[in-house]
Amino acid sequence: VNSVARGIFDLLPYLAVFAVGAFVPRRQSAAERFTIGFVAAFCLFMLRALWPGTGGPESDITSEPGFLLTALIFLPIVGAVLLLFLPRQSPVLLRRFTYGVLALDFIGSLFLLRAPLGRGWHFQHIVEWIPSLGIRYHVAVDGVSLWLILLTTLTTPIALHVSLGSIQNRIKDLCFAFLVLHGAMLGAFVALDLFLFFVFWELLLVPMIVMIGVWGGVEKIKAAYKFFLYTMAGSMLMLAAILYLVWTHTKLEGYPTFDYLALSRLVLPQPAAWLVFFGFFIAFAIKVPMWPVHTWLPDAHVQAPTGGSIILAAVLLKLGTYGYIRFCMGMLSGPAWQAAATLAGVAIMGGIVYGALVAWKQDDVKRLVAYSSVAHMGFVMLGLFAANEAGISGSILQMLNHGVSTGALFLLVGVIYDRRHTRLVREFGGLAKVMPVYTALFIVVTMSSVGVPGTNGFVGEFLVIIGTFVSQTLGGNARVQAAGAAFGVVLAAVYMLTVVQKMFFGPLKNPKNYHLNDMNTREIVAITPFIALIFVIGWFPNLFLDRMKPAVAVVVERFQDGRRAYQENQGNTVAVMQARRGGPLERGYPKNPNDKIEALDEGAQAQAQAEQKEAP
Amino acid sequence: MQALQVLFPRHDCTLLAFIVVLPLIGAAINGVFGKRLGREAVTLAGLSTVFASFLLSVGAFSLLASYEGEGAVRLYWRGWQWMTMSSRGGNSFPIEVALSLDQLNATMALVVTGVGFLIHLYSSKYMEEDPGFYRFFAYLNLFIFSMLVLILGDNLPVLFVGWEGVGLCSYLLIGFWFHEEKNAAAGKKAFITNRIGDFGLLCAMGLLVYYVGALDWTGIEGGAQNLLQTIEVWPPRILELAFPDASRTGLMTPVSVTAATLICLALFLGAAGKSAQIPLYVWLPDAMAGPTPVSALIHAATMVTAGVYLVCRLSAVFVLSPAAMFVVALVGALTAVFAASIAFAQNDIKKVLAYSTVSQLGYMFLGVGVGAFTAGFFHVVTHAFFKACMFLGAGSVIHAMHARIHDTDQSQDMTFMGGLRRYMPYTFWTFAFAWAAIIGIPLTSGFFSKDEILIKAFSNSIVTPSLSGGEQAFAWPTWAGPVLYGLGLAGAVMTAFYMTRLFIRTFFGEFRGWKIVKNFRAHAHGHDDHGHDHHHHEKPGVEHMEGPTPHESPWQMWLPLAILGGLSLVAGFLNAHLFHWVAFDEWLAPVFSKSSKFVESAHHGEGLFIALAIAATTVGAGGAYYVYVQQNGAPAHQLATSAPGFYALVRDKWRIDELYEATVIGAVDTLAEISVWLDRWIVDGILARLTTAIVAGFGAALRLVQTGRVQAYAAVMVVGLGGLGWYFLMPRAEARTVENHATGAYSVTAAPGFGYSYRWDANGDGKWDNEKFSDRSEVSFNLNVDQTRKVVLEVKNAFGRVAEKEFTFQRPRPDRSGATGTTVIDVERDAKGQLRGQPRKPGGAGSAELPAGHPEVTP
Repeated sequence: VNSVARGIFDLLPYLAVFAVGAFVPRRQSAAERFTIGFVAAFCLFMLRALWPGTGGPESDITSEPGFLLTALIFLPIVGAVLLLFLPRQSPVLLRRFTYGVLALDFIGSLFLLRAPLGRGWHFQHIVEWIPSLGIRYHVAVDGVSLWLILLTTLTTPIALHVSLGSIQNRIKDLCFAFLVLHGAMLGAFVALDLFLFFVFWELLLVPMIVMIGVWGGVEKIKAAYKFFLYTMAGSMLMLAAILYLVWTHTKLEGYPTFDYLALSRLVLPQPAAWLVFFGFFIAFAIKVPMWPVHTWLPDAHVQAPTGGSIILAAVLLKLGTYGYIRFCMGMLSGPAWQAAATLAGVAIMGGIVYGALVAWKQDDVKRLVAYSSVAHMGFVMLGLFAANEAGISGSILQMLNHGVSTGALFLLVGVIYDRRHTRLVREFGGLAKVMPVYTALFIVVTMSSVGVPGTNGFVGEFLVIIGTFVSQTLGGNARVQAAGAAFGVVLAAVYMLTVVQKMFFGPLKNPKNYHLNDMNTREIVAITPFIALIFVIGWFPNLFLDRMKPAVAVVVERFQDGRRAYQENQGNTVAVMQARRGGPLERGYPKNPNDKIEALDEGAQAQAQAEQKEAP
Repeated sequence: MQALQVLFPRHDCTLLAFIVVLPLIGAAINGVFGKRLGREAVTLAGLSTVFASFLLSVGAFSLLASYEGEGAVRLYWRGWQWMTMSSRGGNSFPIEVALSLDQLNATMALVVTGVGFLIHLYSSKYMEEDPGFYRFFAYLNLFIFSMLVLILGDNLPVLFVGWEGVGLCSYLLIGFWFHEEKNAAAGKKAFITNRIGDFGLLCAMGLLVYYVGALDWTGIEGGAQNLLQTIEVWPPRILELAFPDASRTGLMTPVSVTAATLICLALFLGAAGKSAQIPLYVWLPDAMAGPTPVSALIHAATMVTAGVYLVCRLSAVFVLSPAAMFVVALVGALTAVFAASIAFAQNDIKKVLAYSTVSQLGYMFLGVGVGAFTAGFFHVVTHAFFKACMFLGAGSVIHAMHARIHDTDQSQDMTFMGGLRRYMPYTFWTFAFAWAAIIGIPLTSGFFSKDEILIKAFSNSIVTPSLSGGEQAFAWPTWAGPVLYGLGLAGAVMTAFYMTRLFIRTFFGEFRGWKIVKNFRAHAHGHDDHGHDHHHHEKPGVEHMEGPTPHESPWQMWLPLAILGGLSLVAGFLNAHLFHWVAFDEWLAPVFSKSSKFVESAHHGEGLFIALAIAATTVGAGGAYYVYVQQNGAPAHQLATSAPGFYALVRDKWRIDELYEATVIGAVDTLAEISVWLDRWIVDGILARLTTAIVAGFGAALRLVQTGRVQAYAAVMVVGLGGLGWYFLMPRAEARTVENHATGAYSVTAAPGFGYSYRWDANGDGKWDNEKFSDRSEVSFNLNVDQTRKVVLEVKNAFGRVAEKEFTFQRPRPDRSGATGTTVIDVERDAKGQLRGQPRKPGGAGSAELPAGHPEVTP
């Protein structure tokens, strides 16, 4: 009987999905309802059956199609070019084409899940690009970037869907911008060549600025400028840092390379390491954004169209945190380790607490959500500074959570903006009476944003807070800092519940709100994936955590190795290279071009030998 | 029973999952489809799932009971792995979605599902006319689900899911009639206050991971010994950094506490938030804005006792810290007295009951705080019966009052009640039972449970554990017993007084609501249909208003009352120490076997305590009878008029809300305003506006030059060309020097230029080596130790102009203090034009010392 009971219990999700599928849509016949319900349950079954287990052996790496990532990146970019040849006059065609490309990309990205993600790089694809400068086209995915890719391929179609609902002019340009942005974002997440990363990093700025500047609000140009200048200032510092790394590598090894695997072996001496670290860190901190370089975010969000805001919040900000894991922690572990405690203080005071306090006092809902992003991203950064497995995996999960819940919040704010063309809280009040479904969804997303257990927000914040509590990197202050971060949870409830109360509860006073329509099918379809993810991540975070676990362990290991090497090298004024570790992590390490040349060029070799003899 | 044991094995007891998940199914059905299903179906879905859950709880309870004699048995259900946590050492341990059942939470589950079902039944009639009927049942079912997760969860994070889940349901249900600003604000207040408590719980979980490395009950109990290490909590590191030389006295005296104390205080913050203890009790009275069944279920019988449950659950941790236990007991006792004092001056029937709940919760904490976990938990059970009964009775009264008085506040005002005993016999009698229990009339349930707590408060003390570091731990003070007992007894007198006052003012005397007219025909209206668009601005009272005879409630409402009233009377015999019937104690003994070792109990005669308890009840109830029946409220009036300030202060709940408003909330508010100002004018001001201004300033200055007049440009061009010409005309004697002190090899390389030729004085004799200018651009030479050499270089360019420069070299004594020979490299191009580096030994020809910070290789 117990096994039968267990079986019934295991059947419950299917029944639930069946019930939702069968009974939620209206105006269908019984047969249609049954079919929809059955299809929904079947989809769940397929999803569970196909969902891969935890990280498997590394052996069958050769069976991974290396071109998959390249296809994912360039499908939208090539699609964007093809789009230029479609007639502007037929928006239906443009829409279908863009949806098709993005859908294909999404389905393609699901194949990434099939690989048993172990410790190394997967779906690696390397093509020589500019050999004389050591620049290669090198893309690969690991457990850190995997979920960010899936988040991107999921979010962009939703953002496009939302945008096409409210934007009527320049559809072709919009679709073009979306496709280019999509490709560039994916590229930035998988690039393992710093030059390539920089190219994608800069490329995605363009469509985003266009999106804010063309389809934005009243002060769109100003906001677009601000966004551009802030990001560009960071980018230039990062470029300088990249070039310094490449130059140093050239000095030490005799050949230039922009490859991440090679450059991450560098251990720089004191002042240079700090300068390079801050070159990268400032670029990423602006993108995250961290206090005090966060002020572009509220402006950009307020002015951006809903679709742009969703992408900006869900994906673009993640580039900053992703960059910090990959480049600051991976290549500059020493300074990252030394700065962690101080920066964690900034993340808590400037992000979690200050962001929440400022958010509380905003009267524009979108601005409030933007400041809440600052607070949430503070949690993400805090987990990274904690630099242990719980903290980092919590951070990565929190990146997804923030993408889901803040994306959904922006979507919902867009819904009310489409109806009322205002986002000022004081214009609303008592909306629960006229828009019950909207209210229910808004409260669900609010709870996720506030981090109520059972929703996704809790799991990420919990992992980050506990990770901070036990962090060795943060030293003696870790527990105080963790308590400070935990207090941010209280403030999150304060600002989110205040806005919920002001918008949805109380008497319905404003006559303009008497006859608002509730969410339509289009909007509900758009938000459904977010709502589903809120609960799936909330209750089954291990589906996600398991896949990133080996990669996170590698991040921690490399970080600790790097900081040890840095400490050993302290007091020395010279840069050194860490020993090569071998193993799957170095798959795709760039070859030394001189190996071949030295063999051919006997004269040069003879000269070198003579010089060596000459020296005492 | 054997069959059950076979069917549901101990470690895979799916029964537990079904207990929990059934109400969730009800909530899902009602929440998603409720609007379309209609009232009957919603009632069916809501009630049947909770009732089934109750039946399964009974099954699980008896299953657990069948293991009797096997010590601490626990039934488990492990769902799936939730997440992976890393502990201090970097080890990771899983956190599972798992449920477990032992004697403690089996009892609690019975109370929750049982009382929960009765209140569901009651609500099906009470909320009948409400347009949000389906929403109400969805929330209520969701609450039962969350509460069951809270009590059945096998680890702290799962408990936390339920913990915040019940908070969320409480928030939704307090603000159920959301179109009134007041209700929504009360909901928000409840949620945020609870969140402050949850902050404590989060910190406690972090500390437990840090010190114990486990979050499940077995793991925590197993690793509890690690909690006896001490931590220095004062002075904070930042003060030490700021004043490194300050002596460690005065303000900087180090304060150390045990980890157990820190964790228990954090846990107690959580418990105080959920269970409305000082200083976080303020949300509970406001929470009465919710529908009355909600007040009965959530804010009296179940959710608010979660804090007590938490302390009982982690009793093995709490007993390790006498300090924390003392705080728990003292806060409990103070809350019991303080809340009771507020209840004296309240006229709203639900407000009185709310403060009474706060006060009773104080008793429970007093009980568990002195280590009498069974007694404290027994009070949870009996309180669930009699307080739920009282709230439902009050709901029944409000239901009757609401027939004519449609204002929520006025229909709850005791000023307009009185004499209802004649019209509502069932409500009256059940309320009377509950009243008897709460004031502690002998042989009722409240008498036994409260009496046990008071006796234990006097006689119990917590053993001081021996710390690992050999430091002195907090010792349970000797005056604790009498003080705690005194507070408890004072609270008992006050409880008896204000409860009797409520009872008399509601059910006795003359009806004061309206003038009763036979066959009064009211216009159509809905009970609890709080759309106050059709607000009656009639003032209630006998002179102003006419109305029908107050009616008794239908059976769905009085049946739960009868059951709960009956239980209030007889449940005490489960644990009647007076008669040595201690079934409840024995049942829970395995749960507290670990913690009871740390509790010392002195034996005193029970007779005196019982006499005192009975005396307290008599004094309180008699006093109220004297004031409100014999004198018809005159002394109370007199007091109110003679000391109006004091009366107003008590009526306004000692103005604690206002105090918080002015201090904590005001401070946060100011901080937020300052932050906004900073964000706007300092952060954005400096980074964006100031930068823009500087760049714009440069632009403006440079624009002045760009006049567009060709003459100006031509003039600038001429000046520029002239400068360039001058530059070419003048030679520059510049050179790069390479010094190698180790080998004594030195060289000077002159910079090349347009038509340059050079002559040198390299041997330092003051004469040119070669009078003629040549294209020899480099000289090198060797020096001995301490030798000095002056080298002069003269450069002539194509225009015949010359420039001279002098270089001085000195070879110092070699540094013998462990000099490391660094290999330096230089960069040159090989035949293929490829950049390549060659490591060279020091002193190799053409080697160059690079400035500090440049990359070099160690051999």
